[in-house]
Amino acid sequence: MTREEIVSKVNAVLAEEFEVEESVISPDADIRKTLELDSLRLVDLISAIQVAFGVKVTTEELHLLTKFSDLYDYIEKNL
Amino acid sequence: MLYEAEEVLGLIPQREPVVMVSRLIDASGNRCHTGLSVTADNYFIEDDGLMAETGLIEHIAQSASAFAGHRYRMQSLPAPIGYIGEVRKFHCYRRPAIGDELQTEIIFEAEAEGVTLMSATTSCNGEAVADTKMKIFVEPVR
Repeated sequence: MTREEIVSKVNAVLAEEFEVEESVISPDADIRKTLELDSLRLVDLISAIQVAFGVKVTTEELHLLTKFSDLYDYIEKNL
Repeated sequence: MLYEAEEVLGLIPQREPVVMVSRLIDASGNRCHTGLSVTADNYFIEDDGLMAETGLIEHIAQSASAFAGHRYRMQSLPAPIGYIGEVRKFHCYRRPAIGDELQTEIIFEAEAEGVTLMSATTSCNGEAVADTKMKIFVEPVR
């Protein structure tokens, strides 16, 4: 899977899961603010990534990912 | 069969008349199967002889609770208290009737900071009865 394919799939999956426009998801955007993540929704992000890519992100690792570009990098590295 | 009748009460905090799990059939990894025998004295049976949809939600939540209780018990820990944090995409295809034997599959999909995301499918004799996704907050055992 190329970087472009990962970015496209992440954006589509998260836009659907969190009911936001894909256009608001950009590499430099803040994940928590954009997706309005709270403690209840954090688990949705972990599950969405796991289902879409088979990549398990731990809570600790997720806290280190602040921008969407960090998330793309993480998935690319762990695919 | 892992737990049946009175044994199930050791896994969940609910007591009669609102016990909505009759048995924990099996459990492996992140999934389990539970059963509920729908009897005439079930708390959620309405005047038309059918179970209220909220009874199905309660059955699914207690199934998850029984599964969590079993997992803790396997680690020699007391059963935790769990709270429903969110119910999403609940579909009820038909309301159960007296005499139905419900079977529910619970899958714990992901966990973060004490919140578990689970999916559930309830059927009766192979016919889909309900499905949903639920978030359960499990209070840490002290």
